[in-house]
Amino acid sequence: MTKQTRLFVAVASGILVVGLGTGLVAAYVGGFQNLTIIGGDGPDELVYVPADARFVAYANVRDVMDSEVRHKLTALQPGTANPPEQFKEHTGIDLETDIDYIVASASEMSDPTAGEPPLVLARGRFDQVRIEGLVLEQGGTVEDYKGSRLLVQEEKKLAVAFLEPGLVAVGGPAAVRASIDTKAAASSVRNNSEVMRLVRDIDDGDAWVVARFDALTGGKLPAEVASQLPPINWFSARGFVDSGLQGQLRVETRDEASAQNLQEVIRGFMALGRLQSGQHPEVTEFLNSVQLSGDGKTVSLSFSLPSEMIDALGALRAQRARPQPAPTPAPRPDAPPAL
Amino acid sequence: MTTAAARPSSFMTSAWRVFGLSIGEMLWSRRTIFMALVVGSPVIVALVARIVQSTGIAPLRVNGVQVDAVSMFGAMIWILFLWFIVPVLGVFYGTSLIADEVDDKTITYLFTRPVRRGAIVVGKFLSYLLCTTLVVLPSVMIVYFLMVPLSQIPASFISLVIDLGVLGLGLAAYGALFALIGATFKRPLVVGLGFVFGWELVTLILPGYLKRFTLAYYLQTLVPHSMPASDTVSLLQGAVFRDPPSVGASIAWLLLAIGVSLALTVRVVEQREYVLEQ
Repeated sequence: MTKQTRLFVAVASGILVVGLGTGLVAAYVGGFQNLTIIGGDGPDELVYVPADARFVAYANVRDVMDSEVRHKLTALQPGTANPPEQFKEHTGIDLETDIDYIVASASEMSDPTAGEPPLVLARGRFDQVRIEGLVLEQGGTVEDYKGSRLLVQEEKKLAVAFLEPGLVAVGGPAAVRASIDTKAAASSVRNNSEVMRLVRDIDDGDAWVVARFDALTGGKLPAEVASQLPPINWFSARGFVDSGLQGQLRVETRDEASAQNLQEVIRGFMALGRLQSGQHPEVTEFLNSVQLSGDGKTVSLSFSLPSEMIDALGALRAQRARPQPAPTPAPRPDAPPAL
Repeated sequence: MTTAAARPSSFMTSAWRVFGLSIGEMLWSRRTIFMALVVGSPVIVALVARIVQSTGIAPLRVNGVQVDAVSMFGAMIWILFLWFIVPVLGVFYGTSLIADEVDDKTITYLFTRPVRRGAIVVGKFLSYLLCTTLVVLPSVMIVYFLMVPLSQIPASFISLVIDLGVLGLGLAAYGALFALIGATFKRPLVVGLGFVFGWELVTLILPGYLKRFTLAYYLQTLVPHSMPASDTVSLLQGAVFRDPPSVGASIAWLLLAIGVSLALTVRVVEQREYVLEQ
């Protein structure tokens, strides 16, 4: 190797090393925000989720709450019921400020249809004394469950437990107890390879959900719709929120033929949507962003709702909500000529 | 007692010697001017974008919406590097590994050395790989730091590392395939360009299994950025991502393509009798 060649190799390698080093330091300082792109294992709180979970969901509350989309959507619905306020009333936890992210799940034992809420694990900053006081004020009781302080409101079928500093579990009493047992027995959903396979594919989203399809619908689909759908086993979805909204829905059917059928059904709906959207360019634009794809038993549908489309929808809604001017009274017909 | 020099060189030692000899030859050839132009153009584009951005004007708008820096960088990875630079460098350098020695009638000098012919192929391939990666990857790095603001590095750095890996894998895969083409066909450049701009483009759009016989199909599924959307590429987008292979499968198929192509090139070169025209 000549001196000239060695110099070239040294300079080129130097650029790579300096670039990678600088990037590594900047990324480390910034917290490696997209590390999950190389295959994460979901949030740490999954160790509290039982292995027989029928659905697991995650939402980066901080990102969602701070997003432009959320502010726009909130402005679109003034005066409607405010779920964060209701949640705060029941638990003393302020979604706006206290929570960074949440993990929700429901397993075979806790059936949300039976009135018991699913398990919600929230990571953030909590005033334990204030929350305990609020629960007790509302008729709750305190019990010690395997070393954890459990606040139970039997009437509302609601329990709250502080599992770790900055981690609170809220949900049905049975579900919260099961989460404590799950961690102790190390038998979490992370041992469920079927669920984790799906989680790893989507856990880079601001919000995501993996669910058995029957858990998602709760058997409440109209018979006419259910009969038209091919057999679906798993459903997963993820969303990215910033100034716009991007999402991907994915279903796993029982076999490849069912996946083909489902794709046909979706294509049919998309075609129908395009036919109906002739008068609404923003809907047409949204439908154009929808991408349908399939691989074996999997069918994927991705979409994008850019910022300007949300603005257009807001403007459209505002236009419809604006009171219409009162119709001008019809001119009175002239008096009939005197006979 | 025998000395190291007296022993016949092992395959890898021979390949290493050929590598040392070829790297300088390859780097300071006329092709280097072409390569410098090809990989320099994204740097110039990024520099212009940066200058425009610093004046407060958005360098790129799509439907009136400003495109953010990371998305612009992703689009450059797709359009400039993955769709053009990597395959073109693969064609120009890969096909020349053996074909140039034949055209220049210097292959007989190489074959008279006490080294296996296969070692010459492997050594030349390694020099191609080092030469191209050391030109392409620093170019990507410079483009990244020119375009992406420091505040956006934490969210995009992992993508950059994956990009570098994908481009390196792409250069290796295209180089190995075109080395085989260079060793087999009489007009390898025409065949190579036909493969990249004919076969790969057409089969990716066509429905069915034909796209599985392209390198682009596996490479494109590894890219961490979304494919830039436009009317012209939406057809391609739909075709590539209609039936995407998994990441593991893509890497495995690409590595297999590299291994098989190199093994076949070694076999062709070792078995072929080169009769040089006078």
